[in-house]
Amino acid sequence: MHFDLNFPVTASGSTSQPKKNKGKQPQQSSSTAFTPAQIKGIEARLDLLEHLGYTVIAFNQSVNKKIDPKTHVNILDELLKQLRARPGTVFLKRLTIVLDNDSEKGFGLTNANTSLVEPYDVIALLPTTSATFSLACLTHSLPSPLTAHIIALPLTLPRLPFQLKHTLVRTAIKNGTVFEINYAGAIGGESDASLSTFGVSDTGVSGKRNWWAAAREVVRVTKGKGIIVSGGVASEADYRGPKDIANLLTLLDLAQNLAHDASVAVPKSLILRAQARKIYRAVLSEPRLVVPEAAQVVPPTQQTRDGENIRDNVNVSQTSSRSPPNPTLTLPQLGGSKKRTCDEVGLESTVNGHVNKKIREIANVEGKSRKKKKGGNRERAGAV
Amino acid sequence: MVRFKNRWLLVEFVDTSTADVSTGNEPLSTRSLDGRLIYNALRDSVVTNFGDTGWGAVGMSLTVKYFSPTTNLCIIRVARDHHRIAWGAVTLLTSIHDVRIIPRVIHVSGTIKHAQLSAIAHNREVIARFRTKLKNAALHHDSYDDYLARSTREIEALQD
Repeated sequence: MHFDLNFPVTASGSTSQPKKNKGKQPQQSSSTAFTPAQIKGIEARLDLLEHLGYTVIAFNQSVNKKIDPKTHVNILDELLKQLRARPGTVFLKRLTIVLDNDSEKGFGLTNANTSLVEPYDVIALLPTTSATFSLACLTHSLPSPLTAHIIALPLTLPRLPFQLKHTLVRTAIKNGTVFEINYAGAIGGESDASLSTFGVSDTGVSGKRNWWAAAREVVRVTKGKGIIVSGGVASEADYRGPKDIANLLTLLDLAQNLAHDASVAVPKSLILRAQARKIYRAVLSEPRLVVPEAAQVVPPTQQTRDGENIRDNVNVSQTSSRSPPNPTLTLPQLGGSKKRTCDEVGLESTVNGHVNKKIREIANVEGKSRKKKKGGNRERAGAV
Repeated sequence: MVRFKNRWLLVEFVDTSTADVSTGNEPLSTRSLDGRLIYNALRDSVVTNFGDTGWGAVGMSLTVKYFSPTTNLCIIRVARDHHRIAWGAVTLLTSIHDVRIIPRVIHVSGTIKHAQLSAIAHNREVIARFRTKLKNAALHHDSYDDYLARSTREIEALQD
């Protein structure tokens, strides 16, 4: 099952805004409707992708500089409603924010804009300067409702404008972010049209040369670990099958198994991790509160007992021994697959939406301490 | 034993004049291609993308063994050591003789036997797709039967 996480979608009429509009209201949906011809074109491309073997496709909406609550329109919802459903294919929504010098002060990925960003399944950042690159790697990879899980690099620019510092890249990968290579640059067709309107790409022969150089650099700095490969293809004839792309990656000095993973395993865990954005504090499990028969259910005391047992359970799960018989709270039997694949996110197993705030606070502290040190820290937990 | 090892690439050229199965009426379709044109395009692709050294690594052993315009199937033989260069050159092809195509490698094998089996299976699949498009049951004896028999014979006649 192969992933193509960059299917660029541009809206037809949403760029120009009437000046009279004070911008307080979101644009009417009629202005971003997709014409039937566009829909037909998109369906044809989806047919092609299906033929080539891609099963999960993420539609990508690009925003320049920053995301503005006043002018931002989610065109993908519209699009998804108009596409026919395909069994065996999964559609996702992705937002890419192109960062350049103007965005250094802030580009709208703040708590206030969470509602804007929420409907998207994945967020990506495209830094073009070194300052924005370090911003993207450091601050925005921490788990929160605003994490940007993908860092896409403009690979066709002459001379990648910033040096990919090893420490930054390593931190980003440890936090779970992933670096994206768009293969459209190698084929040399006009790459993502939205990129060129933002002045960020270069096409033709020099674009191809820069792509090879920059992509090789990305592979070297990440040591092949946190890489995904995706389309970013603007014109249909530039699509290539996943095995062919994996072969191209081996020409970049990437090992064969890593090249294969780049379009299968890494995007899969990325999407699962991206779902964590919508969940409180990146906790993905399905906790079950088991009330034992013997206990008197008195809320205040149960609270504190739960608190202690959470600590116990966290420690138990960390040492991954068999769970001792626990009178109040059992280690929930999770959606096991989800837990296994998301190793990088420090997973708690005991936060429950229904449980009241005290436990959440305790879990917060667990979460923080857990994330700092993967093994967990008993003393710190006990000190709470 | 220092045997000369090969890789047999099965490449399907997906027509993009219409993204779905072409009806064959478009002016620029893959029906006008043949093995020679493909070889020339491949050679140009290797030289542009991998330079003269790339061609040197791959050129002596590169052969286009079979091409069928009906199903757009091409069988290419390359030496094993640098077959990835040839494979990359195939992927980076954008057009052959002014026909825009999407090359897709469907099978790579070390022996001709499995390449043949895979090619025959692929042909059958494509013919089946044609037939469903025309809404013919497979029982009708249409021209495709003839084509299938012919192509199977041609493929099995391939020599190393």
